[in-house]
Amino acid sequence: MRRAAYTVCVLLAVSWVSDAQPRVNADAALTADFLQRVTSYVKLHKEAAAGLPPLKPGTHNEGIPEYERLLRERIRELRAGAKQGDICTPAISAELRRLIGMAMRGADEKRIRESLRRAEPVILSLHVNDPFPEELPLQSTPPTLLLNLPRLPPEVDYRIAGNSLVLRDATANMVVDFVPNALGGRK
Amino acid sequence: MNRRQFLLGTALGFAHAELFAENPPAFAFPLQADSVRFAIIGDSGTGGSAQFEVARQMVKQRAALPFTFVLMLGDNIYGGHSPSDLKKKFDEPYRPLLSEQIKFYASLGNHDNPDERFYEPFNMGGKRFYNFRRGNAEFFALDSNYMDPTQLDWLKKQLSLSSARWKICYFHHPLYSDAHFHGPDTDLRKRLEPLFEENHVDVVFCGHEHVYERLKPQNGIQYFVLGNSGELRAHDLRPAAEMAKGFDTDRCFAMFEIAGDRMYFETISRVGEVVDSGVIEKSK
Repeated sequence: MRRAAYTVCVLLAVSWVSDAQPRVNADAALTADFLQRVTSYVKLHKEAAAGLPPLKPGTHNEGIPEYERLLRERIRELRAGAKQGDICTPAISAELRRLIGMAMRGADEKRIRESLRRAEPVILSLHVNDPFPEELPLQSTPPTLLLNLPRLPPEVDYRIAGNSLVLRDATANMVVDFVPNALGGRK
Repeated sequence: MNRRQFLLGTALGFAHAELFAENPPAFAFPLQADSVRFAIIGDSGTGGSAQFEVARQMVKQRAALPFTFVLMLGDNIYGGHSPSDLKKKFDEPYRPLLSEQIKFYASLGNHDNPDERFYEPFNMGGKRFYNFRRGNAEFFALDSNYMDPTQLDWLKKQLSLSSARWKICYFHHPLYSDAHFHGPDTDLRKRLEPLFEENHVDVVFCGHEHVYERLKPQNGIQYFVLGNSGELRAHDLRPAAEMAKGFDTDRCFAMFEIAGDRMYFETISRVGEVVDSGVIEKSK
């Protein structure tokens, strides 16, 4: 009897490993694809910024919003026609939602949702290449979510707006792409 | 304690009066020769008359403690960030202090444009998070809007490398708060508090809530919330066992002197009333 149970356990384990391995590879491939697309965007961002005086302490004391506006204009020229889903493709969006779902399990979900509520949540009508409105607060992103998402280069960051996960250009303060319904249902 | 505060405390049925009306102890800064002297302001950048009044009070109170720098706990500039906004919400109110070479060290709040890190008078060196040392104290300005793994790794490393006697962290969103409007950010607490404890952080300053609150030490760390140097959310505090002192009826700022193993502090209202004061002993 014990031997039979042992055999069943081994078979189940082998079956789980053989099922899980392709899934892990598929997830890793999606993350790699996402980061490759982000890298391409950062290259474009650097190309756009190269035509402007560098943003360093003291160089734009009187015109940081003006610098951001000029940078946005150049980026828009270089990616005219960019649309939602160019970077966060449907498959990548599904993967990012899955990673967020993993972060929001058990007690973490309550804490993350509380954190979102306490950060002055904003609801925005999101459009790729649009600026984040300067007069609205920029909602903080719970650290537990950030720990579960792929690490980004400093030129871009993850932001929450309503129920969406936004990929934001951190210097131009603009929407690069976004994942709608990233946080699942409100609880 | 005024009549309204008494009635509110009575009506809510707890020791409200004690929290709001406790008289600060008689107090004088030691003004020790090699001490570290600074002030803190939070949620200041409205450009409104109250911000200017607090700023004037800061100038006046330098007679009691000639502080040499100011920590900004975020929401340094509300709304627009045009040149005229920066002038009205920072340069003009604090001009008397800036002209005395008082340095401001900002951290970012949710109303700040993150590119404020390039605004030279904020002394952030173009960084969202940074540290600096004064005497026997090291200060760590964090960006609580975006506590990503890069920042957590940096903080862990810098805290562990620090040889300062006093380690002080400041950022916008509070880990503990008894204000009703927002409340504590417990997800941020889960990630930061273990680092603070492990690396013997002594004091943490936060803003975000438009009130003043000093908490009883939490796991050996002294937490202050001060987010009413410009904004005010009157009567927003809810007394709790963890609260050591609360003040939510006017704007304020606070001054600190670190002398050896003691940190002296005094919290001053817009009209010059001492609303809190005390001494924090360095934990062994």
